[in-house]
This record gives sequence, structure tokens and C-alpha cells, in this order.
Amino acid sequence: MLIRRRKGWEIPERDATPETVWLNRRALLAAAGFAGLGLGLGPQSARAQRVDGDPSMALYPFKRNPAFDLPAPTAESEATRYNNFIELGPGKSTHRYAASLKVRPWTIKIDGLVEAPQEIAIDDLLKSAALEERVYRLRCVETWSAVIPWTGFPLKALVDRARPLSSAKYVRFEGFSDVKLGAGLRSRLYPWPYLEGITMAEATNDLAFLVTGAYGKPLPGQMGAPLRLALPWKYGFKSIKSITKVSFVADRPKSLWEQLQPDEYGFWANVNPAVAHVRWSQAREEPLGGLTRVPTKLFNGYAEQVAHLYKGLENEKLYT
Amino acid sequence: MSSMTAPAPRVSLSAYAPWTDRAGRVSGLKLAAFAATLAPAVWIAWLWASDGLGPKPLTEAIHLTGDWAVRLLAATLAVTPLRLVTRYNRLILVRRMLGLATLAYAAIHIALYCAQQGWEVARIATEIALRFYLTIGFAAFVMLLALGATSNDAAVTRLGAARWNGLHRLVYVIAGLALFHYFLQSKNDVTPAVLWAGLILTLLGHRLLARRGFGRSPLALLGLAAGAGAATALIEAAWYFGRSRLPPLDVLAGNLDFDFEIRPPWIVAAVGLALPLLALAARRFERAR
Repeated sequence: MLIRRRKGWEIPERDATPETVWLNRRALLAAAGFAGLGLGLGPQSARAQRVDGDPSMALYPFKRNPAFDLPAPTAESEATRYNNFIELGPGKSTHRYAASLKVRPWTIKIDGLVEAPQEIAIDDLLKSAALEERVYRLRCVETWSAVIPWTGFPLKALVDRARPLSSAKYVRFEGFSDVKLGAGLRSRLYPWPYLEGITMAEATNDLAFLVTGAYGKPLPGQMGAPLRLALPWKYGFKSIKSITKVSFVADRPKSLWEQLQPDEYGFWANVNPAVAHVRWSQAREEPLGGLTRVPTKLFNGYAEQVAHLYKGLENEKLYT
Repeated sequence: MSSMTAPAPRVSLSAYAPWTDRAGRVSGLKLAAFAATLAPAVWIAWLWASDGLGPKPLTEAIHLTGDWAVRLLAATLAVTPLRLVTRYNRLILVRRMLGLATLAYAAIHIALYCAQQGWEVARIATEIALRFYLTIGFAAFVMLLALGATSNDAAVTRLGAARWNGLHRLVYVIAGLALFHYFLQSKNDVTPAVLWAGLILTLLGHRLLARRGFGRSPLALLGLAAGAGAATALIEAAWYFGRSRLPPLDVLAGNLDFDFEIRPPWIVAAVGLALPLLALAARRFERAR
């Protein structure tokens, strides 16, 4: 069997993991039994960036905002083949399942306590938004990390577009619910849909970024195409992928992960090396593509931009 | 469990090679088992060398070696039931090897973890003491070391069969701790841990049947397969209810969604079916002789 890295080598759709293989992966693995159960045997060709059919391809790339630049981004080949995306399936090799995520047509519904409830088609949103590139750190609650050049626009622009009422205290985000787009949604082990929420103050902070692309291209499916959040000062699970709905609400939303394990994945989930996860230390992180661990920074290095958001909230579990 | 071998006619190391039986003859069974225990390590190393472990190779290798330690533990625990069911007594030849291979994979698992922590002894010790899933995993490893250290003929002689057997009953404690460690280190989805818990439960269940004299009864073994499958489903539903308050009926119903995946209870029941089938085949074979 060949396992070879072919950077930038785009594959035809027929080389993707067949859906039946994916759907029966556990049975197939179990059948393999002692002969070869485990990871790393999937079709490696599915690793290529799944953006060739994306109609917004021609728009990219966008100019990098120098205020949000960082040296040494994670290699694209590393960042695009290691992440959680439970709506697509289990494990970290979610790029193997990304073919099922069809991102057109795709509309984003804005509702709740707003003056301007609306539904926007993703291509209209792309046309109307002032897109730019920002290089952000990403810190997963599982202690791995990456540095990724995202393309997108500030979440505040979407908030302004919705014109929230003063009664709106939180923004609630919802992922997709169509099992045809992601077979992971068939699992009964999660209270679907994927939900996340942040405060209005967090949503209007300049760092909160709605992401449509990465590495100068439209987002590949496994990274949450066509629209995801990037909240670089929070653990990665807060940055919901493949958003279909943005609601402005009065009560604090309870995220999917908070519903499952509130002691492990709280509402705030701000990165803090001094506050351990229930099961492990958060003091250090493992950058993708490296073997050594490096110290984690408070608010993932964004304290200057966001620490003020949490004044007066010291009684909250800000770092879980 | 073991008996002293007669002294070899001349000094030879061949009796100690992993592919020879106690008389120093090459044993196909031992050779196959030896190759099978080495294969995962070779495979993991090859994946690592060929970039098959992804962007976090160390983490991936830690998980894979841990997975294999659990699988080899299950294989070790399978020797006695398979021996009893098939009356193929030569299987005992590979039990020690499988047990030592379990220890070897667990040792590599922990060594890789230490490497990930930069071999900082103080940090590693604190983490093991502080993190419950590491504490129990490490406790299982220490017990494995004790069993590994006494997995030789000299130790059997020194301890005597009764004490040796008593000590080696620790393997059941090790299995419990290792499985609990497997569950606890998982994120929400504990499917692989549930599968191996179910398989090991089958092997333990067989010991209970055997004690009551039903160790070779095809009907009892059929019941064992079904019971272990059902128990696996219940353990899974109880786990998700206990940890996340997921409605148990929903989790149980998920087992019927075959379009999604074949869930662990079915795999456990299907693997368990091997026991009654082997028992029937062995009976027929004995009658034919």
C-alpha cells in the first residue's frame, strides 16, 4: 500500500472514500480484526483540499490584514488533515469524510431578538462582506494547536446587519442537521444539532471572525465550509463549523458539548494554561506537525484584545 | 500452570527461542503468535516512517500502542476459553508470549507518553498522580510488570503453582483498570472502548460458565454470546446516562440503525458466536476420531 504526500495535488471526486466504506467503517475495521485494526489505512487521496468544486474559488485569495499576522503558519497539509468535526464523523481524520458535505445551496438564517431577521445565501454573503485574511492561533481543548490563515470578515458585521434589540444578550450558533451532509449526525451519542453560544460583547469584539476560507482558498469541508466561526482566544470547540443559523437570544445558550459534559466543556472556555481540564493539564500544547510541546498562553496569546471582556465576571468558570 | 522441563540433552538456546516449544522443536503455533504480536509494532513504525500517522504522530502512536495492549490482553484472556472449548491444549504454549506482548505494548505506550512529556520525570509523576485516568492506567501497568517479572519457569517454581496462580489472577484487575482507562481517556464517543469491554466480558463470562461445568456446552455458549452482546449494549447505555444523561433508550435504539454502523453489541455477539461453533466443531472432530 502506498502512503504518499502529494501537496496541492487535487483529486477527482471518484477517488474519495466511498460513502458505503465510510458508513460501514467500524464493521470493516472490526472485520479486519487482529490483522490490522486501526488508523492510517484509509484512502489517503481523500486528503487533498476539497475545494475544487466551490463556486467562490475565483474570489480568492484576499489581502492579509497586517494587524492579524503571525509568523510560521501551520503547513496546510497538516492543518487540513487533523481536526474534530463530529457532524461528519468520529476521530481526527475528518478530511476523509468531507466529501459528503455539499456546501451549495447553503443559506444562513438570522433570527431571534433582531430588527432584521433574514436568510442569506452564502454567495450573497460572500459578495456583500468585506473579506480579508487573518492569521490566527487555534488551541484545541485536547491540547493540540495550529496557526491558520483564515479568510473571512468580523462577526460584528453580521451582528450589525441583524440589528439586534437591546434585549439580545447572547448569540447562539447552530450547525447543520441534514444527515446527508454528514453521517456523524446519525450517531445517537450526541444531542444534535451542534450548538454554540457567546455573549454580545464577545461577538462584537474585533477578534471574533466569521470564516469562509483558509490558506487563500474557500474552506475545505473538514474545516467547516462554507461558514464557520474563529474565536482564537477560546478552545476550538467554541468555533462552530458549517453554520446554518445565527440567533440573538436573551438566555445563555447551552452548547452541545456543555449539555454532554459541563465540567469539561463550559460556556466560556477561554484558554488558560493555569486552569487544568478535568482530565489533563492545559499548561502546554502540541503544535500540529511538531513533536515537542510548547507553553500555552493566557487567552491563547490574545489577552490584550479580550481580557477586558471578563472584568466583573470573576465568579464565572471563565476557563473551562 | 507450568511444569518443569526435562533437562535438554545438550546446552542449547533453541528451547528459549520464541518459536520453539519446550522440547526445542520449531512450533508453527508459536511462530505464528510471535509474528502476530510483532506485526502491529512493525506496522505502527512503518506508518510513522511513511507519514501515515498524521500531523500528531506521537499522540497517534500512543493511542495505537494502547489499543494493541488492550487487544493483546484480550488475546491472552482468550487462551483458556479457547483451550477448553476446542480441547486444543497446545494453545497454552502461546499464553505467556501473548501476556508478555501485552506488557511490551503497554511499556511502549507509556514510554511514548513520557517522550511526549519531554521525559521530565517530575512532570510525568505529577500528571500520573493528578489525573485519575493516568493513575489507574499506570496502576495497571505496574501490575502487568509484576506478572511479566514472574512469567518464567523459575518464578513458577519459586512461587509454587498456587501462589503463582493467585498472583496472576491480577490479570482480571488489570483488565478492569485498563478498560476503565480506555473509557476515561475517550471523548464523549467511547465506542471502541465499549467494543473491547464487551469482548473481554465474553471471555470472563466463559470462565463463570466453565466453573459450573458448561464451558463446552454449545447452548450455554450461545447464551453467553447473546448475553455478552446484551450486556455490552447495557453497559454502553449506562455509561452515557451516567456521564452525560443521554436517554438510555435512545442510545439502545441507536444499535438498530444499521445504515449508520454496526454497533459494538452486535460485534461482541457475533465474535462470541465463535465459541459455540468451535465447541460443535470440536465435538464432531472428537467423535470422528
